[in-house]
Amino acid sequence: MALSGMRGLSVFISDVRNCQNKEQERLRVDKELGNVRTRFKNEKGLSPYEKKKYVWKMLYIYMLGYDVDFGHMEAVSLISAPKYPEKQVGYIVTACLLNENHDFLRLAINTVRNDIIGRNETFQCLALTLVGNIGGREFAESLAADVQKLLISSSCRPLVRKKAALCLLRLYRKNPDVVNVDGWADRMAQLLDERDLGVLTSSMSLLVALVSNNHEAYWSCLPKCVKTLERLARNQDIPQEYTYYGIPSPWLQVKTMRALQYFPTVEDPNTRRSLFEVLQRILMGTDVVKNVNKNNASHAVLFEALALVMHLDAEKEMMSQCVALLGKFIAVREPNIRYLGLENMTRMLMVTDVQDIIKRHQAQIITSLKDPDISIRRRALDLLYGMCDVSNAKDIVEELLQYLSSADFAMREELSLKAAILAEKFAPDLSWYVDVILQLIDKAGDFVSDDIWFRVVQFVTNNEDLQSYAAAKAREYLNKPAIHETMVKVSAYILGEYGHLLARRPGYSPKELFTIIHEKHPTVSTSTIPILLSSYAKILMHTQPPEPELQNQIWTIFNKYESCIDVEIQQRAAEYFALSRKGASLMDILAEMPKFPERQSALIRKAEDAEVDTAEQSAIKLRAQQQMSTALVVTDQRPPNGMPAQPSIGPLSLVKVPSETVDSNPGDQGLTHPNGVVYKEDPQPPSQDIIGDLLGTLSIEGPPGAVAQSPQSATYEAEGAPSAADAAALVPVGEESGSVQPIGNINERFYALCLKDSGVLYEDPNIQIGIKAEWRAHQGRLVLFLGNKNTASLGSVQALILPPTHLKMELSLVPETIPPRAQVQCPLEVMNLRPSRDVAVLDFSYKFGPTMVNVKLRLPAVLNKFLQPITVSPEEFFPQWRSLSGPPLKLQEVVRGVRPLPLPEMANLFNTYRLTVCPGLDPNPNNLVASTTFYSETTRAMLCLVRIETDPADRTQLRMTVASGDPTLTFELKEFIKEQLVSIPTAPQRPQGPAAPPPPVAPASQDPGALLAGLL
Amino acid sequence: MIKAVMVMNTQGKPRLTKFYEFLDFWCVVLCSRAENVSNFMEADSIFGPDSRLVYKHYATLYFVFVFDSSENELAMLDLIQVFVETLDKCFRNVCELDIVFNYSKLHTILDEIIFGGQVLETSSAEVMKARISLKLYRISYQNSFWLEE
Repeated sequence: MALSGMRGLSVFISDVRNCQNKEQERLRVDKELGNVRTRFKNEKGLSPYEKKKYVWKMLYIYMLGYDVDFGHMEAVSLISAPKYPEKQVGYIVTACLLNENHDFLRLAINTVRNDIIGRNETFQCLALTLVGNIGGREFAESLAADVQKLLISSSCRPLVRKKAALCLLRLYRKNPDVVNVDGWADRMAQLLDERDLGVLTSSMSLLVALVSNNHEAYWSCLPKCVKTLERLARNQDIPQEYTYYGIPSPWLQVKTMRALQYFPTVEDPNTRRSLFEVLQRILMGTDVVKNVNKNNASHAVLFEALALVMHLDAEKEMMSQCVALLGKFIAVREPNIRYLGLENMTRMLMVTDVQDIIKRHQAQIITSLKDPDISIRRRALDLLYGMCDVSNAKDIVEELLQYLSSADFAMREELSLKAAILAEKFAPDLSWYVDVILQLIDKAGDFVSDDIWFRVVQFVTNNEDLQSYAAAKAREYLNKPAIHETMVKVSAYILGEYGHLLARRPGYSPKELFTIIHEKHPTVSTSTIPILLSSYAKILMHTQPPEPELQNQIWTIFNKYESCIDVEIQQRAAEYFALSRKGASLMDILAEMPKFPERQSALIRKAEDAEVDTAEQSAIKLRAQQQMSTALVVTDQRPPNGMPAQPSIGPLSLVKVPSETVDSNPGDQGLTHPNGVVYKEDPQPPSQDIIGDLLGTLSIEGPPGAVAQSPQSATYEAEGAPSAADAAALVPVGEESGSVQPIGNINERFYALCLKDSGVLYEDPNIQIGIKAEWRAHQGRLVLFLGNKNTASLGSVQALILPPTHLKMELSLVPETIPPRAQVQCPLEVMNLRPSRDVAVLDFSYKFGPTMVNVKLRLPAVLNKFLQPITVSPEEFFPQWRSLSGPPLKLQEVVRGVRPLPLPEMANLFNTYRLTVCPGLDPNPNNLVASTTFYSETTRAMLCLVRIETDPADRTQLRMTVASGDPTLTFELKEFIKEQLVSIPTAPQRPQGPAAPPPPVAPASQDPGALLAGLL
Repeated sequence: MIKAVMVMNTQGKPRLTKFYEFLDFWCVVLCSRAENVSNFMEADSIFGPDSRLVYKHYATLYFVFVFDSSENELAMLDLIQVFVETLDKCFRNVCELDIVFNYSKLHTILDEIIFGGQVLETSSAEVMKARISLKLYRISYQNSFWLEE
């Protein structure tokens, strides 16, 4: 059947059809496009017939999915053709190929307008169709008024008027500010009196758009809608052609009921009564019949009636009738009806008081989970999820678990997430919750997101009653021969933490626990090994008295991983190995994890994000509010030492629960990189709580505060001037450093340089920054060695020194580019003005290729660099000591939580910090006396004396007395020594913005008495 | 509103596509769906949020409508039926070939049924009438007296 005489077009279509493969088709299409393009180029010789033919070809090619980026002009120009065949092609092709943003459309506006206001009805229709299908702003501006006129004109035939109604609707939807509909209420009411059902259907669509925007203005239309609905439902005055399989225009019925749903209520009692009569008739009068089309049509009307009843929140009687109907639908043979039945039941959950009736159909809904159609299974899952509450959670969740093993892969993730959320929200008891999650991991490990197992760990940690139960369960699962890796993770974690609670039971000795966990070790990936290592360390710690055999086994493993290529594993192995040789102090460091702060479940948040269907979402939200987590209450335990929200960051990030579980605000998330650099850290976190939550959970340590930061930190809080040295270990980086990762641990490098005068400060794949320093009295001369490791030059090199107020620093010029493989030296002069522990920061950036790298590095111009060792004789010492009689020149403090060190080691430490230990001055062999000279511009050379009294019975505490001729110096030196004694040098502590060094601590300006009272 | 109308054959070749709203080009694997399942599919992932898809399978052709939640699913299914019935009336036992070679007629008919994403006409008789009047017009235009009717 050829297309009205266009032979060329038919030939082309046949050719395309005969192509054997896509490649051939492309060749044929390309040839045709080339042909059309050449013909269009010399337009003069083109007859209207040819033009029409080529434009049709373009449309055909476009439909096949090829880009047609030319010939638009020709298509638009056909619109102005005087004859119908060309004009029609122009209009149709333009509407398909161009969108509202196309410039060419402007050329056509005039012609289109002439066609609309002209008297040729066919042209009017074509023009209206184009405007309605494209609906651009310029069309709206120049044509809306004309279209409105056509709609209400009495001389126009329905054919035109119904198009005008929809055209107006489209223009109004797209540009509500341009189309003026003020005062249209009366006209709309008039339009609803229309007898022609075609015009009425279009007008009803227009009404829906207007009412949805502003229902107040259209109250007068409400009774008319009800009348229309009555007319249709009673089949009064409905022409045969508008009866579809015996049903009077189902579309108009549906549209009318949609419009009614935009009015909040129906107030007028008469209208309301007639409306409910009609609805009742629809609800009762619909049967499932054999003819599919009739069935569809009648149920389209029925489902819309159900929606309207739900909206009007009718008398209870009608509502339960609706649920009963839906209950019938979800069991019928016709899949479309089952699908819509389930969907509407889910919507119905929004209406209160019907849940109980819906619950009666639970068995049938569960059966729908096994429907052959995935669309229906999804609806059933949504409905089960929505209708779940405390009373039926157990049944539903167990059904979901059972279904999990046979569900499609496409659904498993959603399914397991939903099961996990329901289990959490409605758990009748906590052990059941643990059971469910473990089963979930067991059955569908691949589809269980990390969030799910993090959450169960949080619950177990926060609920003591649960811990031994969870440990026993975890042990059971480990007995299975093949388990999912996630199960290995969660079991290893739980057994490491809580396995010791069951140590007396047979099969739970540390050795057995270790063996059973370690059996899984060969099967796991690198992401699990850190968890295993932590677990081993914990088992080792809980083995009291130590078992040498187990210890050796575990040490062998640590040793093996000390050279692992994965930094995380390597660091853990090295640290655990070192720690596990520390004997009793291991107990503090590896003590049980503190409780997690209460936070919204990441899972529930995720689920809320995932919801798209607005109706459904509001239903679920509503119910979530009503039944907020009834069973699981987590106590919010804060660190007990009166430091609200003080992040309790231990010396080591031993166990890292990956941070996405932990933070409650992704924007403020600080990602702690294994070597202590914080990326993307907000220098002043809006809420310390978040960081506290975040970092607090990252570390295993003694109960927060046991690391003896507490008195210190409390003091800082009191002073309101946190010292930068306190913030030492983590230097936040203001901007993201791209993908360039530092080599080696920045913190370790810094601490090493605090003790020696030359070494590497920073290194990454592109650059190495070395440092060499000479110190003389209160002055220092540092040289930065910037070495380009690449064979390409580094550009935009910038080094900026952010000095604390007590240091005067001058950096010589840093070249902007560093040539390949070259090293440049930049001298840096330092002058110490007064005693302070604040640290200078080097803000260093460079550009390598497209990536900008920026790091902020602490410079080792620290307090001890300005000390000069000095040996004093007893004759010099004692008069000085006595003359400095008390605060603020002489300060004494009892320090707890000290790293236990043998006395000779402590003496060594002092010597490396240039505090000369003077043996024999103190008669007590457990005491230590040291002296040094401090240099700064204000204090000049100042003698400092230090006395340490240790307790041989308890090496973790000591009394320290520091004296000097300057109160600030005494205080700063005391704090400095204390830091060295209590913290392990690599300790990551609270990050702090280096860009704004805090004002220097000036204890002299405060009441030293109060200060000391606080300290002692 | 209705966002798109597509007709494709069982091999996935498009026979008619018309978008009333911009959508990324589509590739739907309808053919993998068994018989005797519902005519609805989740379409959010392909057509963006709040998209529903209804399709109907006739011999070698799938008719697909994509629309949002403001339309009634079953009514859309009925509309597909109206479209196909109209085609049937127009071509007398419509087959894929008719549609391939007469896609201009297809566009004309569709424009009479769906207008700017809204249902324009639901009576196939009315659609035919409109078409016939257009045809008549074409004949009468040449005789140039129909204009003043």
